[in-house]
Amino acid sequence: MTIHLSRREEKPSNASGIDKWVPSACALCYATCSIRAHNVDGVVIKIEGNPDSVVGKGKLCGKGVSGLMGHYDPNRLTRPLRRTNPRKGIGVDPGWKEISWEEALTEIAETLKRVRAEDPRKLVVQRTTTVTASRIPFHSFAAGFGTPNIATAGGGLHCGNGAHEISGIMHASWSVVPDFAYCNYAIYFGASKGHSAGHASCSNMGLAADARARGMKMVVVDPMCNFASAKASEWVPLRVGTDGPLALAMCNVIVNELGRIDEPYLQSKTNGPYLIGPDKRYVRDPGSGEPLVWDCGCNEARPYTKVPSASMALLGEYRVDGVACHPAFQLLKDHLQSFSPEAAEAITTVPAANIRRLATEFATEARIGSTIVIDGVNVPYRPVAAIAFRGSQGHMNSTYNFLGIDLLNQLVGAADVAGGCLGFNPACNGFPGTGRLKYRPKPGRDGLMVSGTWMGYHYPYPMAEPRAPQNIGLQDLFVMGMNSPFLASSDQEEVWTRFGLPYRPEVLLNFGANMLMSMGTKETVAAALQRYKLIVSFDLFLNETSDFVDIVLPDCDYLQSMDSRSTWPFIFGHPAGMGEWCWGIRQPADEPRGEQRRFADVLLDLADRVGILPDVHAAMNASLNLEAPYRLLPDRRYSWDEICDAELKNNFGEAHGLGWFKKNGVITWPKTPDEPYWRATTEARVPIYWEFMVDIHEKINKITQQCGYKAPDEYYDPLPLFNPCLSHECKTPGFDFYAFYYRDTLHSNSYTTENPWLDEAARLDPYSYTIVVNRSVGEARGLKSGDLIRVETEVGRSVEGRICLSEAIHPEGLGIAGLAGHWHAGMPVAKGKGVFFNELLELDFAHASPQNLNLDLCAKVKVTRIGEAP
Amino acid sequence: MRLGMVIDLKRCIACYGCQLSCKAEHGTPPGVFFARVLKREEGRYPTVRQLFLPVLCNHCDDAPCVEVCPTEASHHAPHGVVDIDHDKCVGCRACMMACPYSNRYFHDERQFYFPESGPTLYEAARSERHPERVVMKCNFCAERRADGKLPACVANCAAGARYFGDLHDPNSEVSRLIKDRGGFTLHPEAGTGPAVYYLAP
Repeated sequence: MTIHLSRREEKPSNASGIDKWVPSACALCYATCSIRAHNVDGVVIKIEGNPDSVVGKGKLCGKGVSGLMGHYDPNRLTRPLRRTNPRKGIGVDPGWKEISWEEALTEIAETLKRVRAEDPRKLVVQRTTTVTASRIPFHSFAAGFGTPNIATAGGGLHCGNGAHEISGIMHASWSVVPDFAYCNYAIYFGASKGHSAGHASCSNMGLAADARARGMKMVVVDPMCNFASAKASEWVPLRVGTDGPLALAMCNVIVNELGRIDEPYLQSKTNGPYLIGPDKRYVRDPGSGEPLVWDCGCNEARPYTKVPSASMALLGEYRVDGVACHPAFQLLKDHLQSFSPEAAEAITTVPAANIRRLATEFATEARIGSTIVIDGVNVPYRPVAAIAFRGSQGHMNSTYNFLGIDLLNQLVGAADVAGGCLGFNPACNGFPGTGRLKYRPKPGRDGLMVSGTWMGYHYPYPMAEPRAPQNIGLQDLFVMGMNSPFLASSDQEEVWTRFGLPYRPEVLLNFGANMLMSMGTKETVAAALQRYKLIVSFDLFLNETSDFVDIVLPDCDYLQSMDSRSTWPFIFGHPAGMGEWCWGIRQPADEPRGEQRRFADVLLDLADRVGILPDVHAAMNASLNLEAPYRLLPDRRYSWDEICDAELKNNFGEAHGLGWFKKNGVITWPKTPDEPYWRATTEARVPIYWEFMVDIHEKINKITQQCGYKAPDEYYDPLPLFNPCLSHECKTPGFDFYAFYYRDTLHSNSYTTENPWLDEAARLDPYSYTIVVNRSVGEARGLKSGDLIRVETEVGRSVEGRICLSEAIHPEGLGIAGLAGHWHAGMPVAKGKGVFFNELLELDFAHASPQNLNLDLCAKVKVTRIGEAP
Repeated sequence: MRLGMVIDLKRCIACYGCQLSCKAEHGTPPGVFFARVLKREEGRYPTVRQLFLPVLCNHCDDAPCVEVCPTEASHHAPHGVVDIDHDKCVGCRACMMACPYSNRYFHDERQFYFPESGPTLYEAARSERHPERVVMKCNFCAERRADGKLPACVANCAAGARYFGDLHDPNSEVSRLIKDRGGFTLHPEAGTGPAVYYLAP
């Protein structure tokens, strides 16, 4: 049975005479920049940035301006589809049959009712990372249903189990950036912030360009010289996945060779003075249980709350009740000795002399002790920042790599102060009219910082208590994990059996994620998907994952959707530093085509049919923090627009409901210096010594004792170590490249390769669709640019593509732009373009970090020429 | 008044915003980019950098394309902008041969990005107005300028790398940038007097 998906589109009737600019939000990536869409006679003819908003500041990247070609793609789904072929497999025709929404929702609701009655945990809800505002309806649906299984496909594994968790613990934020307005020396480790990447993408492009034009030195550590590294004052190429040891060697130079640290900061803003006993734990006051510090004023150990920070010892050995103990900072200082620049050179290939020079420059430029007046407020000034993202922490050593890098900031006091490394807006004094949206980091357990708002399942600190797994991803056992490979690992069943997962997932409710391409090698994901009894997917196109889906629901895209917010939480899209707060909505600039429906309304309909609407409303009340009179009533049937209206009025007052926002697009108010530079006036400390790891390790081991598993010690030390990825252990002759992928500026995840403008630009770009190898290395093997090569792992997984010989890559590196290489006919523009890197990645327990479940994203590969350049 | 553009290569990060916002503004057919971004590596590993070079029609003072045009289709519009009168263009492509910058395109036949399903609604609204068998290129967004707007590539540049203004006014931002930072043009040896200047990376 074939179905004709391509249809010549018709203009909406009664549309002539329309000429309007609709303020809304982009969704080509998770930055969700504010846009204005121009609708003339019912056709959207232009998308521009919305200059009224700081989220994008009126500009868009190449992807954002190209949104129309995805929107009007004739391959968009327009009818619900049901498979007629029960056999599921890669390339096996599902035999799609068009069905009505009524048929689709009836079948889905019946299955969901049965599953919920049996065990609601059998439902897995999965979302793409790009439409971040979808978090509210999907998480609320999952919470109302009663399942803990909420996933974002490759998100986390491929972006930030370490980056997000540690940014949360150390900066109360999802991610970190240099304070572009004041930073003079930024060192990037595998990140491209400000260079068409990530949160606040377009705003940061302007800020980073201003900073570079102003003379900010930008050092970029990266195996490849593209994007940020291409604009760097200095590119530091290194062996793939070894950023942690480089950062730790720099820390060593700063602490042990230069001795140039910010003592008052370490005393007052970190747990550096806390005394640590031989059991690696805090030495606590027997009465209050508070960690003790050594009070240099009276030469005795006292609870940290009783001692002025300037009197707290950072160095030395002390005895408390006969037990030898050291301030945490002393232990860090000693620990760092094992990371000499010479040792780091052997691991990273970065010359020791350069490591010393970079560390010296960083410590010198920090101007420890200085302050600056901003808007009349005197704040600490440390114009240096060390930042990191996917490239450096997308490894099994994810946590320690990121922590080692952030220690650079902590040592010189450059965390959330002017010029330093900033979290993305973790403190907000609230909308002046209502005082709502107010949050601020605060001290929590043992005086360590708890973030004021958070995006994930659990606040980063204090960490959740490990428990016997009830979540298919095991994040509730390995509590530092955010997203998990066990959603689809090859040893999924073995892992579940071993760790005692008390049920098995049966239904997958998917929103826009193309799981077959977003995690690892396709056969592994395919096998996991085959085990589901029902897969329902909201999609714009049929794609590789559709081969395993039972019911496909035709979604509206971002130009046809409504949302009270462009993102979640609203701080996500904001640039850090001074400027404005800004809340924008997403609203339709165009009508749905055919039977397309907005996912949020479909979920509400489904919740009603399943009988969980009161629970979903309760979850929305909680996650949107709705207060009377805007709280949703349990039994009333709301449209999504009504819920959006309630959230907006709840936050911004009765006068600023959906109607106001539809007309005005965004609401703004100014930031004050105590918001971006909250650290100096916030009592909370951050851990330079992760004492809580000892406890977590013990608890995990206690739970897993019965199944004979012990979490390896080297992943649970309170001080950062280097645990190389499994791929680094491969010593087989011939497998001498470290393959890695990077995020191309022209593409987001896997779906923009279907956009013909972006595809065309990518085909003209020398790197987007090719496999990049160092020129000298390639030429020594007789390879020429344009040759067709096979890239193969030790276990025989392989991809093929055209090679691009380049001076701009480490000799051991092999770089591929991630998430291209589609093979499904449902996305004909994308099909056959670029290289599917994830095919090289093993998805199993052995390749996941036993600390935070981050996947080994390097692959040791062999290169073979299989065809000449055309 | 002579309209010109300055592109600051220090600020440009090759996000392709110019190339694609231009396409979105004009609905150019497949293969046609009035604005493009070129990439080149300079140096040898590890002392290497990438150069990003956004290019577009240079709106030359002494424009070879205008000179060779047999029908006066290629002409100097007001303020030094080089434009093509499509009613006069016979598609001989002499101008394409003459242009030292390869920034002109011949629109040989109607093409759409999804060939099997014909023009999308967007293409029907924006692309079908481009006549066939003529040469097409950048005109510094004549329609936008008529509405008092900056050219699309300038208005949209997120890195703030593009400036637009009067090259004849010594106090204009473009003139000052060219003077202060040693603005240069491409292929000066061709003697064409481009109106697009670059600032060193």
